[in-house]
Amino acid sequence: MGFAEYLAAREFVSNTGQPLITYIFIMALLQFIFAIFFLWKKNIRYYDYLIKCLYISTGLYVIGFIVIMFFHFQIYNSVLIEYPKELLLPVESSRFAVPLWIESEKLYFWAMVTSVLALTIKGRKDLLSFLGIILSVFSSIVFFFSNPFKEPLPVVHSEITKWYAALSGDGNIYQIAGTLYGRITYYYNSSYMWTHPPMLFIAYATLIITFVACVFMLFRRIRDYDEIAYRYAKPGYILLTAGMLIGYPWAIEAWKDSAWWWDPKISGSIMMWVLYSAYLHARIYVERGKLWRTTALLGVLGFVTLVFTYLLTYIVPGIHSVVQP
Amino acid sequence: MKLKNYDYYLILLTTAILFAIGVVCVYGITYYNYLAIVPGWTETVGYLQFINEMNAYLYPFLVLLLISLGLCIPKRLFEQDILIKISLFALAVTVILTFSFGMEIAMGFILAVITGLQGVVMILTFYKNRAIRFEKEGYLVRMGSSMLHLGIVILIFNFVTLRESQFHILIFWGGTLFVAAGNIFSFYPERMDFLFKRKTK
Repeated sequence: MGFAEYLAAREFVSNTGQPLITYIFIMALLQFIFAIFFLWKKNIRYYDYLIKCLYISTGLYVIGFIVIMFFHFQIYNSVLIEYPKELLLPVESSRFAVPLWIESEKLYFWAMVTSVLALTIKGRKDLLSFLGIILSVFSSIVFFFSNPFKEPLPVVHSEITKWYAALSGDGNIYQIAGTLYGRITYYYNSSYMWTHPPMLFIAYATLIITFVACVFMLFRRIRDYDEIAYRYAKPGYILLTAGMLIGYPWAIEAWKDSAWWWDPKISGSIMMWVLYSAYLHARIYVERGKLWRTTALLGVLGFVTLVFTYLLTYIVPGIHSVVQP
Repeated sequence: MKLKNYDYYLILLTTAILFAIGVVCVYGITYYNYLAIVPGWTETVGYLQFINEMNAYLYPFLVLLLISLGLCIPKRLFEQDILIKISLFALAVTVILTFSFGMEIAMGFILAVITGLQGVVMILTFYKNRAIRFEKEGYLVRMGSSMLHLGIVILIFNFVTLRESQFHILIFWGGTLFVAAGNIFSFYPERMDFLFKRKTK
């Protein structure tokens, strides 16, 4: 096993995944059309088509995820980093246990979980139609801007390529090995990386349903949607809280000498958490007067901050970010 | 003296404080972005100043949040007017300590008071003491609420005053456990009750 096997696996995932994501995109377009038509015409036929599209796209998402899992498994199997003894590192070698929610795969994972969760509210036609529109936009964003099959794991690929290039004499092997040791130990193979992001992405997916229900509460001016908003806010909040807290010891371990206190992403996450805490607090008195409007507004605002917090990685510099000042 | 709609206004107050903390965070993001124009600014003394400044904006709201948590949970442990007087006294001491010894000491004081109070509340709740009455009924909901509030206070205490302590991470996991269990008990009491009953059989 080695570089050639890794490249073969990468080519396989790209060749298999590209058609899959194209079908997901086509399904997304159909979902969008049927959802709009159902909301407009109120014809149950369009809703049935929407459900069928949703089932197909969810199935395709899951198949795509299995392909991604296979690719990650192959990376683990084929790439072995053997550190030069002169570096005096605590381990002799490492393998890449790359998490399934990094780089362009994270948005895919979030969209897949949202798609699966959407099927749990198929009894609520109006909510699911609106969620279908959101999901179709989401799938289109994945297809155009975060396609995990177009160029699978570009950063991991560049690191692996540099390692094999250094092994054949092109580049400083000591420097590359030292960098890779840090990346593999504190990032890819960290148990926190396998728990912190997925908990947050699953939380985000459940909170989308809360958002959809809160939007309906505000626009239709009825409290009936509160029950479903709250039902999905509960697991969302538990996962959000636990996921965020799990990030703290990881930050201490991995960023001990770095500037991460009041980092924009962390500030954004705290902002999102306090808004959802405010939502759940205000909800205790949801039956009193018009307080449900406040809770619905907080539910919508919470989701806006959620999206904003996600985007912070790409728009504001910081230790969590991909942009530099 | 009994304030009409006491619980309702307390929840509105807590909601407003949480919202205000959110606004502080927005300011923090904007300010960080503004300062980050200078490359490598986080390696300069400016970063420390930024942290101190942001903490200074956050701490007053944290104090208010802690006071509101203090007012919220043990609301039937004392008469309302006594509780309000105690809270105002604690707030006054915190303000005096802030100007005399600095914000960290003042925060340490209020956090120690509230942690102790929440701890007592949780023990009384655990033993089903009638002195405690909650907005939501049910033993597990009460336990969950107590654990959640105690966990949050422990975590804030740990972040603010015990960052250099050797027990920092241990206390962090303790607080996290309280928060997680508190959330689950508060949100899913029926399911937890079922597990609890099955265990005791």
